[in-house]
Amino acid sequence: MNIGIPRALSYFDYYPMWQTFFNYLGFKITISSPTTKDILNKGVSLCVDDACLPVKLFHGHVADLVGKVDAIFLPRLISVSPGEFICPKFIGLPEMINNSIENLPPLLIFNYNLHKDNRDKKNAFMELGRQLGVDKRDVKRAYKEAISRQYINEMMLESGQNPVVLLHPKENWGKLEHSKGVIGIVAHSYIVCDRYISMDIVRKIRHKGYDVRVVANVSQKVIEDNLKAMPKRLFWSYGKKLLGSGMEWLKGNKVDGIIFLSSFGCGIDSFIEELVRRHNARQLRLPYAVFTVDEHSGQAGFDTRLEAFLDMLEWRDKSGYNFSSHGQDVYSS
Amino acid sequence: MYIPVKALFDELGVDIVIPPKISKKTLEIGLKTCPEMACLPLKVTIGNYVESIKRGADTIVLSGSCGPCRFGYYGVVQKEILRDLGYDVEIVILDPPREGIKEFWERVKKISGNSSLYKGLRAINKAFKVCEETEKLLQLVLKQRCREIHKGDTDRVLSRFEEKIRSVKGAQEILDCIYEIKKKLENIAVDNKKRPIKVGLVGEIYTIIEPYVNLNIEKRLGDMGVEVHREMSVDGWVKFHLAPDIKFRRRQRRILEEAKDYLGLCIGGHAWETVAHTLNYSRQGMDGIIQILPFGCMPEIVAESILPTIAKDENIPIMTLVVDELTGEAGYQTRLEAFVDLLRLERSRKENELGEVLSWN
Repeated sequence: MNIGIPRALSYFDYYPMWQTFFNYLGFKITISSPTTKDILNKGVSLCVDDACLPVKLFHGHVADLVGKVDAIFLPRLISVSPGEFICPKFIGLPEMINNSIENLPPLLIFNYNLHKDNRDKKNAFMELGRQLGVDKRDVKRAYKEAISRQYINEMMLESGQNPVVLLHPKENWGKLEHSKGVIGIVAHSYIVCDRYISMDIVRKIRHKGYDVRVVANVSQKVIEDNLKAMPKRLFWSYGKKLLGSGMEWLKGNKVDGIIFLSSFGCGIDSFIEELVRRHNARQLRLPYAVFTVDEHSGQAGFDTRLEAFLDMLEWRDKSGYNFSSHGQDVYSS
Repeated sequence: MYIPVKALFDELGVDIVIPPKISKKTLEIGLKTCPEMACLPLKVTIGNYVESIKRGADTIVLSGSCGPCRFGYYGVVQKEILRDLGYDVEIVILDPPREGIKEFWERVKKISGNSSLYKGLRAINKAFKVCEETEKLLQLVLKQRCREIHKGDTDRVLSRFEEKIRSVKGAQEILDCIYEIKKKLENIAVDNKKRPIKVGLVGEIYTIIEPYVNLNIEKRLGDMGVEVHREMSVDGWVKFHLAPDIKFRRRQRRILEEAKDYLGLCIGGHAWETVAHTLNYSRQGMDGIIQILPFGCMPEIVAESILPTIAKDENIPIMTLVVDELTGEAGYQTRLEAFVDLLRLERSRKENELGEVLSWN
């Protein structure tokens, strides 16, 4: 059986786990092609207007797989950590797909819910195995393999490897021997890793001579430590990652500038961005920019803003603080 | 919708400030200070806070939840915003007790001062009663408005009620006020033979119950002679989540269970209720259904993408209205009128066996 996996949303976080699982059990897998304008347009036309860009894109990737595969793997990630959730749209994803795309092949819905207990992880895979009609013992072995592969990947990311570089190792990513500084990108992995909607921001920054840190490079422990300062427990796993790593970088000397890359209509980002920005404004005042991408984003405008941001960083280092970009001028008395 | 809360605090002897009725100014305060992408309720409530603080409030109480809807993190974000605005107020978030019973109790104590447990329970009990009666009153308004013979009668009574309720104090006085208004409503001249078009209202709870945000949809539809059915209410929420009303809970559970072919689990907010009520309404024989949501509401978007399938399966017209700070009144009215016209046409087609009727008046 040929199983299709949409190259969108949680794929970028969990592809080692899923690919290993299916491969181990001897299934052929097809991953939808990297995002193109066609895929995005298809997604936009199929999905309800109010959804966020990544969800529209997911629709496009599923539509791309229709007709090419025997079944489509649809993860329903309810919770990846006890007491937390992902996002309402992640939970309702199978329903959204089912009701908006026609001629779908059978769907392999993978219910992943660790809201109560971390041990439910195994049950999720056992259920998937049942749907596939494979022997229980094989599923168990495949599960172990998948988990360890996922673990290795996360270790690599925490040691500082860039997830986009890991996905496309053969490309020219520019040398980093004398990097001018480090830019922290606060963004969901499914935005940074999709080179079409992130406008290839990682490569662009690297070619300008800066190193890039992304949210996946910050370990879960550091994130948890930083979030202890919050007055209320944050219950979105993805939101936690963004806020935790943002606050880690705001401690100083970690990065030279922060870019918040958000997608239009992202509900979680709207809150997290607000919190990161307000914290930054109160403490450090690191150079900080917010980029919002949507289905209409133009390449040129994006590039101009990015270049302006990096230029500003350089001038800031060169000419010190002779001029203020806001408020009173330092020379006026 | 603040009435039961007012009753509760009145009974506890806590001074409260009722925010002025939401106006354009309220929303403007919110728009200036809130993240652009945030949902509308956040912006409106920030406006409410600022206006109440100006009238002397020093503590803000709001209920909390723990996801996945954004509402659960309102308190934190709003605290940050108010802090940067220079307002030093305390925000007490009442999270569900399972997030830590001790903390819950301490927060309750903080707002209730030093009332005894007995007094507290009695106050809560009375507040429940007020809540129920208020809802009954509002449901009566829905019923009377579309049948009234002299246009505007119902709304005149209702506005008198809103004025009066601000000046009374204590649960008993509030209840008396409600009963009095109720009697007046019942005495309105109505045309009982009329069979109005029935529309079910579903969607996000705040947008449904706050008239300013939904541009007074109930009144607009009522004035067109449409009977609005609205299951979503403060009373319903209280009964389902707080009060031990088993019968009500069972009924709600059953409605939710029926929708499991379309959506079988809670995805936050009121998406499941939206889907379930839509199904329930269409089986009750409504003429049409209107879903209403604030722009960017995460759970309702999922529901929105499921509704067209229900519309097809159950053969019922469903319209989705998205409201935000830019929603224009004229366009909104036109859409409502067009929808109601369509429902009238549909009904006369069903009743007329010829089936080929174009005109409905």
